[in-house]
Amino acid sequence: MKSITINIPKLILTALIFISCSENEFSIPELSSGLKNDCINHSIAPNVVGQYIEFAYAMALKPEEGRLLNANVVASIPGDEGTYLNNKSYYTNGSGVNVGVEVGESSVTSGNKTTVTFKTDTCAATLRYYYKIPNAARGKEVSFTFSASASNGETVYYEMGPYKVREMDLVLDLVATNNTDCYISIADMAVYDAIEAAANPDKIDLIYLHRAIPGISFNHSLVSPSSDSQFKPDFVLAPVINNKSKLIKAWNIQDQQLARLQYGVFVDDLDLRNINFAGAPDYAINMRAESGLWLETEDGMYKAYIFINKVDNSNGKITLSIKRLKVK
Amino acid sequence: MKKYILPFLTTLLLLILVISCNDYPIDEDGLLITERAECYVSNFNLLGSDFQTVRTAAPEIDTVAQTIKIEVFFGTDLKNLYPQFSLVTDAKLDPKIVGKEDFSDLENPKQWTVISGNRKVRKTYTVYVSVQQLTQN
Repeated sequence: MKSITINIPKLILTALIFISCSENEFSIPELSSGLKNDCINHSIAPNVVGQYIEFAYAMALKPEEGRLLNANVVASIPGDEGTYLNNKSYYTNGSGVNVGVEVGESSVTSGNKTTVTFKTDTCAATLRYYYKIPNAARGKEVSFTFSASASNGETVYYEMGPYKVREMDLVLDLVATNNTDCYISIADMAVYDAIEAAANPDKIDLIYLHRAIPGISFNHSLVSPSSDSQFKPDFVLAPVINNKSKLIKAWNIQDQQLARLQYGVFVDDLDLRNINFAGAPDYAINMRAESGLWLETEDGMYKAYIFINKVDNSNGKITLSIKRLKVK
Repeated sequence: MKKYILPFLTTLLLLILVISCNDYPIDEDGLLITERAECYVSNFNLLGSDFQTVRTAAPEIDTVAQTIKIEVFFGTDLKNLYPQFSLVTDAKLDPKIVGKEDFSDLENPKQWTVISGNRKVRKTYTVYVSVQQLTQN
């Protein structure tokens, strides 16, 4: 019994040495014949009308089997103007930069189908597809069928989606100017001057003011027309403009679609729908660059998130980007 | 040798049982009741809805009079503020802060009670908020 007990560890050790010394020769996997394809969705942001959904579509066959003829994408809802399939295939160089090599004619879009016809003799390519979300897709689901054809007569298909398109609207880089173009309409997603504002008083939800008041941090402020006069110093407002918007200041919500910065933060339909404005004030004093503002219009028709892209102290200007959801 | 192993293990087990049965008092919040009798606020802050401070300067904390005086920026929304207390070690606050508080009634300042680590000393602090005023030229 004793001799067996001693021998078992020895046997295990020997077996381990034997196994570890076993040489597994590496061989390059054999590529199966035929045309192959694959696809990934590059976009991580909510799908908003006017924005792009990006894909990378890869296709390849063995060089001896033929060459690529064309690549196609069929969207279930035709993309807006600006939808295209890039005719370049990319590789990453030693500096980490993506370099495009033109492999096909410029893409042609007809209805819901976008095509690139290859003009170089290539057996492998990865093309990028940019689908500009049309208004027709708002609140709906959109899906895509990618396909590629090769000179050997083969055609392959790849289904992507469905992807839900959000209800919200998005506008970028509205510039409001102190005392002149300072009336902001959420309903129109626009900035107006005093004359335009007086013509559309029901649509004015915010007033931009820039004041340098000693001892007070007023600076760049966004106030509702209804706000107390102390929050609109030295500003004459037509009495017909009197909406009471509810406002909640925010910080650290640098929505990537609005800010176009490095932060992976997105305001989605659900955020806008769920935010509670009970007890919220009608003014927001001392707004800073990269801060934000949640807003609900007086009629409860719209909820919005306003991101402050830039403030200009010397010229009294503010640059805003807005996501807005119609909730009624 | 074998005869010592069993008594040794038994002793060890008993020792573990004795240690684990040692009764450390816990209060109704599941917090440890300690020996500390100190009972004061060491720092105080108010945060706005954007979780940024709204105070203009460090608060005046009087641990004898049990008052906290704090000035906030002009335009601060007093109805939606998050109070933030720093307390002496092992102390706790009553009532608990679970969200936004309304400080808009400046005539009736809000109060919180600090309870010492031994849960025997209670001191009620009154928070006086003032707002930076706009002075017109």
